[in-house]
This record gives sequence, C-alpha cells and structure tokens, in this order.
Amino acid sequence: MSNPANSSLVFLFLRRMRLPLTVLILAYSVATVGFTLIPGVDDQGNPWTMNFFEAFYVVSYTGSTIGFGEVPYDFSPGQRLWTMVSIYLTVIAWLFSIGSIISLLQDPAYRRALRRTRLARLVRDLDEPFYLVCGYGDTGRMLTRALTDRGHQVVVVEHNQDKIELLEVEEFEAPVTAFCMNANLPDNLVEAGLRSRWCSGVIAVTGEGHVNLKIAISATLLNHKVAVYASTHTRSEADNMRSFDTDYVVNPVEEYERRLQLAIDKPDLFRLYHWLNSGPNARLAKPVSIPRGKWIVCGFGRVGRAVWKLLQERQMEVVVIHPDPEQSGCPAGTVPGRGTQAEELSAAGVEGAVGIVAVTDDDADNLSILITARALNPGLFQVVLENGLSSHALFRAAEPDFLGQPSSVVAGTILSRISSSLVEPFTQQLLQQDNDIARQALAGFLRHQSDHPPQFSSGRISPRRTPALARVLAAGRQVTVGKLLADPRDWQQRLHLEVLFIRRQQQDILFPADDFPLALGDRLLLAGRDGEADRLRAVLENDERLEYVLTGRDRQQGLVWQWLERRSG
Amino acid sequence: MNMSKVMFGFFVLLAVTLNFGFFIGDIDNPQHHDVYELFAALVVGLIATVLKFGERSQMGAILLASSLVVNLHLIAAVIVWTIAVHVTEVGLTPRVMASIVSLSGGALLANLVSLVLLTLDTAGLSRR
Repeated sequence: MSNPANSSLVFLFLRRMRLPLTVLILAYSVATVGFTLIPGVDDQGNPWTMNFFEAFYVVSYTGSTIGFGEVPYDFSPGQRLWTMVSIYLTVIAWLFSIGSIISLLQDPAYRRALRRTRLARLVRDLDEPFYLVCGYGDTGRMLTRALTDRGHQVVVVEHNQDKIELLEVEEFEAPVTAFCMNANLPDNLVEAGLRSRWCSGVIAVTGEGHVNLKIAISATLLNHKVAVYASTHTRSEADNMRSFDTDYVVNPVEEYERRLQLAIDKPDLFRLYHWLNSGPNARLAKPVSIPRGKWIVCGFGRVGRAVWKLLQERQMEVVVIHPDPEQSGCPAGTVPGRGTQAEELSAAGVEGAVGIVAVTDDDADNLSILITARALNPGLFQVVLENGLSSHALFRAAEPDFLGQPSSVVAGTILSRISSSLVEPFTQQLLQQDNDIARQALAGFLRHQSDHPPQFSSGRISPRRTPALARVLAAGRQVTVGKLLADPRDWQQRLHLEVLFIRRQQQDILFPADDFPLALGDRLLLAGRDGEADRLRAVLENDERLEYVLTGRDRQQGLVWQWLERRSG
Repeated sequence: MNMSKVMFGFFVLLAVTLNFGFFIGDIDNPQHHDVYELFAALVVGLIATVLKFGERSQMGAILLASSLVVNLHLIAAVIVWTIAVHVTEVGLTPRVMASIVSLSGGALLANLVSLVLLTLDTAGLSRR
C-alpha cells in the first residue's frame, strides 16, 4: 500500500534536486568534453588527445577533489589550464548540490514530514496488538505507563510538542510511538494506526471533552472492531458517547461523586472499589467513616455542586463558600469568597463544622483552604480535589482524609475496563451489593495483597483455551472454584487469586463460593497478584498438573510409569 | 510563456534529435557514428530526466519512466563502447558498432515516446 505522505516526500525531494543535479551534470559534461578537445603530448612526444574514457576518468577524480595527478601522460599547458577550469567548475557544482541537499534535510517542514512518515511506517509495521492513546496529559501518561508495564505497545497522539518531548525521554517497558498532531482530525488518527488490524483499543483522554467525543465517533466509524474508551466532563457528552456504543465512558465528576457517595454509605465497598479502579499504583484506602453534621463546601463548580447535593440528600447541613454567590445557582446562605481566608471560613462556621470539602478548580487554593481550615478546627474531616498531578507531593503531605484525583480516577477506571470486558458487569453488580459482602471480599484479597491492587484477568472454560479442564469436565467430574484455585506446587495452599465473577449463559454469579461447581462455557473474572493468573492458565492446559491440583496425586508421566501405576492400583 | 516549460521542451526535443543523429547511418560502420554525439545524447538525456523529477501527474510519471529507459540504453551503449575500445581493446568492429547503435536505437524509441507524450500533453493543454 503506498502512502500519499510518503511518496509526496520523495517528490518534494526530487523536485528540489532538479536544479542542483542539472548543474552537476552540465559541469561534468563541459569538463569532460573540454578534456577530449585540448591537445596534449604523449611520452614519446607525439601529439595526443584524450578520449572520453580518459577524460571522464580525470574529471571524476578532480571533481571529487581526490586528484591522482596527471594521467596517463603529463599534461600539456593547455590541458593544465583546462584542469584548473574543470576543478573550479566541478567543485563548485558539488558544493552547490550538497548544500542544497543539506539545506533541504534541515528544513523544519521537511523534517517534520519525514518524521511523521517514519512514524507512520513504524505504526504500519506493528505486528502486535497496540493501544492508541489520544492525549498525553496526566491521565494519558499514567495509562501509557500502565499499559506498557503490562507489555502492550502504545501509540500516543498529542498535539503539544512539549509533552511529546517529555515522553521521548521517558523509559517504557514496551515500544511507544508518539505522534505530534491533532487528534481531532480523523486522518491523523488513521495515520496513527486507527484502522490497523492490530489496534485493539482507542483511549480518548485529551483534556477537552468535545475532542474526545470526536475521537470516539471517528474510532467507532472507522474501525468497528476497536474498543473505545473515553473520558468526558459533562453529562451530555457522556450520554452522547454512550448513544453510539462507546465501550466505556468515564466522567471524572460522576466518578468522584460515586466514590464519595460510597465512602459515606458503604465504606468497605468504597475501599474495594477504589482499590480496584485507581491504577496500578493505588494504595488501599484507610477505613474512613464520614462524620454526620455540618459541612462546608468550598467551590461550587461541577464537583462542588455534586457534593453539595450528595450531602443535602443525606440530611446534613451544608454551607457553601463561592466567590460569586449571586451566580451559578448557589444555595441560599452562600458565603462569598474562595475559602482560603480565615474570616471566610469563620463566617461559614468552620468552628462548628465536622468536615470541609475543598473542590475549587485551583490546586493551590484547595491546599490553602485545607491548611487554613485545619488551623481553625483540627478535628475537621477533610475532602479535597486534586486537579493536576503536578502538586501531588503537596497533597500527599497535607494528608487529607479523602483525596480525589481526576486523572488517576480516569486512568484507573479505564485500565480496569481494558483488562477484561467482564469488569464492567462485575462493577455494576458490585455497586448494588451491601457493605458486608464487600467487607468479606476485601478480607479475601487482604489474605494475599497488602499494598498493590489486585490485577484483573479473565478467561473462558473451553476445549481450546483450557483443554485439560475441559476434558475433566467432559468426563463428568466436578470441579469447584476452590479446587481451581489450589496452588500447583502445593495443592493444599491457595493461589493468590480470587474468582470475582462468573458469567454463565443466562446468569451472572458474583463472588462464587469455594464449593461452586464450574461448567464448560463459563467465563471467569479473576483478580489477584501479578503473574498468578498465568500459573492458573498453565494448570488448566496440562492434564498432569490439573490432576495433581484436583486430587493431590502426582500422575506419572510416560507410558511405562502410567502402566506401572495402573498395575499397582 | 513559462521559462521552465521552454527548458523542459528544449531538453526533451534535443535528446531526441541528438539520439537520432547518432543512430542514423550504417549500423556497423564506425565512420557514421560520432562519439561526441553519443556523449551529448547521454548528457542531454540525463538532464531531461532530472527535469522530469518530481512531476506528480500520470503524464509526468510516464515521461520520467521513458527518460529512465533512454538513459539505461545510452549508458549501456557507452559501457559497451568503453569496454570494447579501452578495456578489451577489441576496437570498433562492425559487431561492436552494431550493438552500440542498436542500443541507441532502443533509446531513440523511448525518446520518441517521450516526445509523443509531451506533444499529447501540450495538445490537451491547449484544448482546455
């Protein structure tokens, strides 16, 4: 397949080389003809003129400034004169053409085009599944890092040159190809490999919602098979994206709201959900209990409004602090100001409050609110929103009780959805459960995970994927979830793995019990330590290992041993 | 009038005429085929090729292709000449001369194609 951008580069190069090459040819031919015409004298003193062969030979080595001397015979004065002329002629012609080539190669437009062509070729030559990440902000960066850590190749599209340069000095576990172009244009996405059959997912996490929307539309229309994950800031954009079957849409405001709501109503479910959906570096949140009483909400933007509504619905007294109480539908009794000053906080009654929510869109303000409020009332429960990752160390140091990071929320939820298509139905069902079930599940994980969040993995019980298990099931034997999770090195131990969810034709089973029998065709969603799922997979493919896991007996390998085993009964 | 068009037409035409001049005459008689004329035909052919670089139209592509064919033939003819006279020192025997001239004949054919295409292109241009 010929690439228009690629061939136009060649044409551009050739067109620019017209004049230099013509000059070079003319200079050489004039010099050569000159040598064949100038009379000389051979070693016997006879008159002699060069033929074309000798002339071209002489011009070739003078033109390239090598200079073998005067061959085959010493030159006559006339020939020497012409040699001088031809030296200047050919050397200048060379300088001119080489200068033209170099100036063309250094032309910024040409170099940009060259770079893009090279990248496009790289993407075309990819022969492994890759993800297309649009936007390399905090979210895109986190996603790229996590995806490459899992061994996926990533193509990044970002229009900000600075961010691309940042990316280029970073080290990744898998190849990352970075395009500096506008993801808003479908052609650019195609160039970045949207239509490639290896493109397994498009992730639209640019800072602008309508750009993400456009990317989601382009991806859905141009490649039916690709999975599309997008983030957005408004409900209408989210609904719009869902209307054309975008695989997963995350709205950080909604997500923040959901987590805060969980933290209030079902603290253990919140911990589990937050742990599973906040990226590979998430820590398990400490047990929180959100106090009831008077709350202060600083900032009445999208998040502030949502938090206000949430707290109001739980019959708590809420005072809002906002710079402009008249506008944007602030509730009655809103205190004017940003909340960074002690007077404003006192006016809102911080001394008698149980908690403060700092959700302005300025990180410095949020931190300032937190510190000022804490000085006035040390017992406050502090909820804060972190808008960008650049001041993450400060937020960590401030130790709020509840921290919201839109970028890691978006990256984390998208990452968990990428792991398996079963994560979304699992999450939906999980959110319906009550706190006790979540506490048990969390306790299950805490048996083997202390810090790193469990990794999702999934698989299907089928003759092709799990041949050994399929044979056992087909033979009519029963295999339960508990047996499945036995450690292949010591069958009485358990793998560091939990079965979260089983999808059977008609029914979904959440947190199946250990004695739950498996069946052919089941789809399993598991989570646990990195690499454990691979060990399980190896067991399910190997008859001997599966037999050991199920019965604790080592089946002998090889015909002779099996025969002996049968004899001995 | 466009100076680049003049140059282009000039070189294409000159390539044909020089090539024809070299080609005409008894096929195996060195007296009828001058080495300067072959040299000139090759140089002009090379320049015509370079001038056709970077044309994106279909016509430009065919013109470039025919020019490349011309050069291939003429360079082959020059190499045969050089090897016969300077390397193996067989000299311009009728057999060698015939092969040189027939190579240049092939070049002439490709040159004529070039010329016809150019003419067609120009005719098409004036009709519009």
